[in-house]
Amino acid sequence: MEDWRRIDIDAFDPDSGRLVPEDLAPPNLKSVNAGEIESKISQLRSAATSGDFATALQLVTNEPPYSADEVTKSRYFEAVLSALTQVRQAEIANLVKQLSPAQTDVLIKYLYKGMSVPEGQKQGGILLSWFEKVTQNTGVAPVVRYLSDRRTV
Amino acid sequence: MSDSVVRDFKLAKAPVYSHCFSQDRSILAVTLNTDCLVYRLVAHGKPQLIATLADHDKTVTSVDISIHGRIVTCSQDRNAIVWEPLSDGSYKPTLVLLRINRAATCVQWAPSGYKFAVGSSARIIAICYYEQENDWWVSKHIKKPIKSTINCLSWHPNGIMLACGGTDGYVRAFSGFVKGLDSKEQVANSPWADKFPFGALIREWYDGAWIHGIAWRGSQEKLAFVTHSGTFNVVDPSDEISSAEYPEGLPLTSVVWVNDHEAACGGYSCHPILFSEGARGWQFAKNIDKSVDTRAPVAASFNGEEEQDENPSFGISALRKFKDLDLKGKVSTQVKESTHENAITELAPFAENSGNVTEISSSGLDGKIVVYRV
Repeated sequence: MEDWRRIDIDAFDPDSGRLVPEDLAPPNLKSVNAGEIESKISQLRSAATSGDFATALQLVTNEPPYSADEVTKSRYFEAVLSALTQVRQAEIANLVKQLSPAQTDVLIKYLYKGMSVPEGQKQGGILLSWFEKVTQNTGVAPVVRYLSDRRTV
Repeated sequence: MSDSVVRDFKLAKAPVYSHCFSQDRSILAVTLNTDCLVYRLVAHGKPQLIATLADHDKTVTSVDISIHGRIVTCSQDRNAIVWEPLSDGSYKPTLVLLRINRAATCVQWAPSGYKFAVGSSARIIAICYYEQENDWWVSKHIKKPIKSTINCLSWHPNGIMLACGGTDGYVRAFSGFVKGLDSKEQVANSPWADKFPFGALIREWYDGAWIHGIAWRGSQEKLAFVTHSGTFNVVDPSDEISSAEYPEGLPLTSVVWVNDHEAACGGYSCHPILFSEGARGWQFAKNIDKSVDTRAPVAASFNGEEEQDENPSFGISALRKFKDLDLKGKVSTQVKESTHENAITELAPFAENSGNVTEISSSGLDGKIVVYRV
């Protein structure tokens, strides 16, 4: 039988209008400007260097720059990753417990982002222990929400 | 099985994507692969198969029965078929031309039983009604601004407003006003809009996750929808969305209103879930038909032969060690957490008492139909 699932039916109907990524972009995202992100990055770095990880984690998980372009997002992510990896294993569980559900959802996004890029994969062990502590605390609910959320970090 | 389960039928060894009871709850229609099976319920025991509706040639995705007893099915073969019951118990099929180029995913009769809506992957909702002069079911399309597959549909009890949800993350309410069938009195004083021309987008709400299930509460003018991210949401004419999260976090696929302040949802967790509205808004209330954790320790499921083996040699103890590893975290086969053994695909009200639902029915990927007391 012909593999009918592979037929490009849109090619037969010019009016059908193909689905483009912009069609599914989430509306009403809060726009961020470059200056805000830069200042957030430096705040994040100084909090991490001074060992104040609770503040750093609050910065990471509050209002992530969803609407920024990919380059900015990856610059921002570098700072997030360096903060996350400086935390000592023993402290992770405690920090995770202080997060609200919405903040936990954001943290999970950064953990998955980390595991998807080479820089993060080098620190995979630490990201996985963050992941383990989050799921011990809240179950798989944030993961399901991560999978279905179109706002990416 | 907990005491909230009233009836439980294992009808098929394949997924049942959709089921529907007739108005008097005497007839049950379920989808099975490329067929739709029609059963008559008997007081005790298994329902009796009375007809197999076999005209579709791809998976049947949805079935609904009108107040007049007409069955409509839709399928991935891009067609819908209306099945007219005949006096000898058989059904006469009429093909409905939907004019869509992708699968039809969901179908629902309007409360009047004279028109129905079909959702599809072609980013189209087809409103179909019978045209006397041509002796034919015709369809009119609602296209804009749908961006992706429609997963679920619900007619408002006024028979004109049609809510839909899909994989583009939007919940939308359209007008399905058909000239000659509907009258303006049906939507007089509606809080949602003033005018209802066919196909008009009345409201839209963005959620982001796939919308799997949707249901109106007409008496309250509220709309509930459930999503793949495991949230239950209610919107009202003021566009205020109140949400509640399901603590287990698994996706929800279907929702029915139980009364003005309670709604039951089903999904990947294999048992229905009740959400209720209190002073602090909507919240998760309880699980229905979920046994509390009665997990037997793994060792209990070993058979006697191994337990007699008191002084095992090294080889045997290694064997046991690996068997232990293999069973780690598992429950013994006797323990069943819920009546459904796989995800619930659809919920529907089964018994009502003055506007409040007392029993709901569900179909699941395990081929079961279950009726629960709520």
